[in-house]
Formats: sequence, structure tokens, C-alpha cells
Amino acid sequence: MILANYLAAACVFSIGLYVVLSRRNLIKIVMGLSLMESSTYLLLVSLAYRRGSTAPVLTSPPGTTSMSALARGNVADPVLQNFCLTAIVIGVAVTGVFLSVAVRIAQHYRTLDAGEVRALRG
Amino acid sequence: MSEPSPEGEALPGRPGTHSGPPEPVHRPALAAVLAVGVAAALTAALVGVPREGAKLPTVARYALEISLPTWHTTEPVNEIVYGTRGFDTFGETFLLLAAVVSVTTLTRRRESRRAQGGEQRAGAREQEEVDPSGEAGDAGEAEARVAEREEQPGGVDDAPATPDAIGLGVPAPEDSEAMSVVVRTAARVAAPVLAVAGGYLVAWGYSPGGGFPAGAVMVGVLLLLYAGFGHQRLAPVLRPSLLEAIELGGALAIIALGALGLVLEGSFTANFLPLARAPDTILSGGVLQAFSASELFEVSSGLALAIFALLAMEHDWSPDPDPGPDPGPHADADADADADADEDEEEQ
Repeated sequence: MILANYLAAACVFSIGLYVVLSRRNLIKIVMGLSLMESSTYLLLVSLAYRRGSTAPVLTSPPGTTSMSALARGNVADPVLQNFCLTAIVIGVAVTGVFLSVAVRIAQHYRTLDAGEVRALRG
Repeated sequence: MSEPSPEGEALPGRPGTHSGPPEPVHRPALAAVLAVGVAAALTAALVGVPREGAKLPTVARYALEISLPTWHTTEPVNEIVYGTRGFDTFGETFLLLAAVVSVTTLTRRRESRRAQGGEQRAGAREQEEVDPSGEAGDAGEAEARVAEREEQPGGVDDAPATPDAIGLGVPAPEDSEAMSVVVRTAARVAAPVLAVAGGYLVAWGYSPGGGFPAGAVMVGVLLLLYAGFGHQRLAPVLRPSLLEAIELGGALAIIALGALGLVLEGSFTANFLPLARAPDTILSGGVLQAFSASELFEVSSGLALAIFALLAMEHDWSPDPDPGPDPGPHADADADADADADEDEEEQ
């Protein structure tokens, strides 16, 4: 039942959204964003799954099936796996930028509470 | 406009604040309603999505079928990442580059304001409005400043290079930069193995993604050595000038590969290299392998730049430790001199 994976991804995404909306600690907001990113990885890999399929790799033990037969056979979706790879890299980039902003805010305002960070300061 | 509370809102790592006031939250009920609403909408949408029994989409079947005859590679995911959807990966590469540039810009040292036309003077009125006391922070900040001075080279004079000579049972903290001989030996053994594994992933492994996971492995090697030996031993490798050159070299190679495909074969990232006859060799895949290898340099140096920029981030406390007399419009020359003196103090 791959539907359970889909629904788990929806749940994880909503938990991340709740954290981003309700917390005021900047580090926890970044953690919530990472949770939302992770839910997309779970969803993309689950969408790529097919019942009884092999990985999208065209090598098999010698003498079993030819490579071209594998390409026409029951294989998981490689395009969605590619999307997942892209999403991971973008997630890392976004988290890195947010964390450096959070450190600078902590240094300038001496607080990580997003509610305190209102005024412009030099 | 609200002032930061005098106690400071529990910066992490400051002693004595672990059992502090309850964590501030922002409209949790409204957030819960919104999150549940989004969950309901997502559930309704995902129930209708094709499941494990569905046929493979045409684009996926196409990628599977062309990867052997056209590219001589047995790895359709790599064929999509660097071939069919190469333009997507091209954009992703420069998104990563943009993120690295942002992190480097955000984490660099404060620049001298001498050259910037008196920002300090211009901001003085607002600074006073926000922080009328003008004092340089609380006890926690003073503590952090001391800690930062100790982190600088030569900060703690009596710190040995390694903790091996320190007897057992000596109370923490350890001041030495490297870790114990056990950790250092383990890092020496594991680092070459991991580095070879990373090279294998990009050259012969045909792992999905090629250069991306291999680059992450290479950063893992750097972090392992950093943890074992400390920053100073790794400083010659971690110079930003070196890492930035590698990073931009990788980006240039990717642009050149894409553009050569456009010039020679008529489409961006098209293959123009001779393909090895047999799959599963280092030359099979042609331009895919070259793209993947460039991505290794781009990703590993980019991640290393971002991680070590964050680790080495210096405290840019504001306001300055000893602000001079309030620089009014009549005291331009004096204010400049004060600002310069402050800068000089910070440089040391």
C-alpha cells in the first residue's frame, strides 16, 4: 500500500508547516522547513515505486535478462528519482542560506525569537 | 517596536537558560487550523494520484529505452540527470552556486566602513532610537567575546596541540584543537577509503546522480579530517581562494560542456564525445561522465565553502564594543577617526 507513504508525506509536510507557522525560534523554523523538504523527498520516491519493480539500473546477473529487456520491463520511474536528487540539492542550499541568516540575526539582535526581530539596526 | 529583553531571549548554548521561560509560540491555534487544512487538501489530492500499479509514464519509458543505444550507459537516472533533463541540472548547479555566494557574503567579516561613505554616521540616529543606552551588550555577550578571542590562533596560550599529554580525569573543557590519538588514527584510516569511494561513485560507480553524491562524500572526508585534526591542520586546503577557484572551475566546465554540445551537435548538453563501445566503462556515457565529474568539483567545493564559512563565522556583534562619542553633523572628522580606531581594534 504505497498510499500510506503518500499520506505520511502529507502528514510530515503539515507538521513542518505547523512548526514554521507557530514557532518563533528561528532555528526551529529552519527545522520545520527541512521537515517540509523531507516530505517531498518521501513523496517523490514513493511516486516512483511500482509493484514488483526493479531499480532503474540496466544491469542484471549474467545470463538472466538482457539489458534491453530490462529497459522494457517493470522498472521504477527514473524521472521522479531525478526530481528527488534535484530536490535534495536545493534543500541543502536553502537550509545553508537560512542558517547563516539565523546566525547573523542572533548576533545582531542577541535573540533568536522572530517576534523580537522587528527594528532595523545598523 | 520592542526591545530585546535585558536577560536576552535564551541564546542556545548560554549556561543557565536550559530550564528558562517556556518557548514563545505564535498563534498556535491558527497555525494548527491552517496545517490541518493543508493536510486535508494534500490527502484529497494524493488519494487521486496514480499508485504502484500504474503504467510507467512515457517520458520515463523513453529515458529507459534510449539510455543504452544512445548513451551507452546502464544508468537511466544518470542519463536523465545529465542528458535528457540536463538543462534542469544546469540550472540547479547555478542555484547551488548562488546559495554558496549568499552564504559566503553573509558570513564574511565586517568590512571597513571608511570606504562606504559613512554608513555609521548615517545610521547613528536610528541606532540611538533602537538602542538608547548605547552600551555594548550584556554579560552573555561579554562571555561570548572572551570565548571568541580564545578561539583565535594563540588565544589560549597553554593549550597543547593534541590532548594526548593531558592526564585522565582532568576536568573539561579540553583546549586543544585536535582530538585524541584514537580519533586521529581512525580518521587517518577511514579518510582515504572514503575518498576512493567518492571517486569511484563518480568514475565507475554509475550511481544515480554521479557527481552530487560523490561531492557529498568528499565533503564528508573533509569534515572527518576537520573533526580529528582541527582547523589549523586543514587550513591550507580550506583556503577560500583555492576552494572558490575549484568551484568556479567546475561551473565553467559545465557551461563549456553545455555550450560545446550546442555548437557541435545543435542542442544544449548534447553528446559530442566518442562513446565507449561497451557500457560500464569509464568512457561510456560520453558527456554524461564529464558533466558528472565537473559536478563533483562544483558540489564538493561549494558545500565545503558553505560549511566552513558557517563554522568559521566570526561574531559581528552590534553595536561596537566601545562606540565613540555620538557623531553629530559637526564632528565628522572626529567620528571618522573614532570609527577607524574601532575598526583597528576589531582587526586585532
